[in-house]
Amino acid sequence: MSSNRIPRVGIGGPVGSGKTMLIEQIVPILSAKGYKAGIISNDVVSKEDADRMRQNLATEKGLVPEELVIGVATGGCPHTAVREDPSINLSVVEEMESKYNYLDLILIESGGDNITTTFSPALADYFIYIIDVTGGDKYPRKRGLGIENCDLLLINKIDIAPYVGADLKIMERDAKIVRNKKPTVFVNSKTGQGVDIVVSYIIRDLLFEASPKTLVNN
Amino acid sequence: MDTDIDRVDISLLQMSDSFFPTGLYATSNGLESLSQIKKLKRKDISRFITIHLRQVIGPSDCTALGNAYESCRKRDFASLLTADKSLYFMRMVEETRSASVRSGNQLLKCVSSFTKYKKVLRDYQNAIRNGNATGVYPVSLGVATWSLDIPKNKAGLILFYGFAVSVIGAALRLGILEHLERQQIIHELRPVILESIMKNIERPISNMWQFAPGLDILQMKHEMMDSKMFIT
Repeated sequence: MSSNRIPRVGIGGPVGSGKTMLIEQIVPILSAKGYKAGIISNDVVSKEDADRMRQNLATEKGLVPEELVIGVATGGCPHTAVREDPSINLSVVEEMESKYNYLDLILIESGGDNITTTFSPALADYFIYIIDVTGGDKYPRKRGLGIENCDLLLINKIDIAPYVGADLKIMERDAKIVRNKKPTVFVNSKTGQGVDIVVSYIIRDLLFEASPKTLVNN
Repeated sequence: MDTDIDRVDISLLQMSDSFFPTGLYATSNGLESLSQIKKLKRKDISRFITIHLRQVIGPSDCTALGNAYESCRKRDFASLLTADKSLYFMRMVEETRSASVRSGNQLLKCVSSFTKYKKVLRDYQNAIRNGNATGVYPVSLGVATWSLDIPKNKAGLILFYGFAVSVIGAALRLGILEHLERQQIIHELRPVILESIMKNIERPISNMWQFAPGLDILQMKHEMMDSKMFIT
């Protein structure tokens, strides 16, 4: 790992599973603790996610400079862009690393994809995969590289589980089995429920409890 | 064992493979914006690529590649930097300029991960790091192919083939072509590719040119698109 490498979190998941909203919840918590994040958003057919995060996190809340929310087009191949040929993403990451070395971490959102999504280890050091309850409580049991291999599995939209007939206990049990006891967290990205736990995993397992760079340097 | 084949042939195949990590799969070179203006057919894709090859990739990219390759062969680093800057400043559209720089830099990074001992490769990467070069894709390809002992004309083949495949791949994903048409077009383009290499790879850098205003406008339109799949 090069000395100026900034730790990177890859966030993958199907379309509509809540990746963008999760980032919108994570960044303010990290920011309150003094951690500075850059954001790269891979969009499949638009730059809507990047534009939305720039508006919500940068323009309105001032938590991230606008130039640190970057949208990347994926040529219609979302998992190629983060796994088989991550060169465009790497190029953007390297640019961030050389220009903004004060960042504590970079969040890389994949384009909405299927359950086989994983991140190239050259691109992401920590991999979060997010699904939601609307796919039914069979979702974890159906496996898939994303669900099985990620460092942290998130199950989102738990507030609507009763309305779609998804039993969270079944999901928890199956996730434990298919993930060989790696952690799973239930979240509601809309209200922020459970997101503080996600942030604590990031700080512990990616940043190894390091203090924010700006605090150390001051 | 057949002695007509050697390791360089394998390097040639490796560099031409669409899996080679340079991000070219994410480029449409203006095809995406054209597809929003007009319902495209198979013959339009052939024509689109042919104009690109004859009016842009040939006289500018291939010329820069040929000059970069010769600069490496002659150990003339100043000429290499001239090829780099000349091509960079010839690319008028920011989106295509930036995509070329990104792909070129990733190409160098990848090749230098398995050919560590070529001085020119290291020097060129250092020049990029220090802001004295940009790493535009054709020049990076010239440096990389020279480092791998791939003959210059075949380096030209990689350039043209890679470009054609990236546009045809974009056409497939945009729903314009089906998979067999894709291969038919590559087959049909062979004479244009060979002609373009022969015409341009020995061209001096001072005679480098490109002229395709319609394509430039399409690429500018692409920059302004709100909803897009491709980076160019």
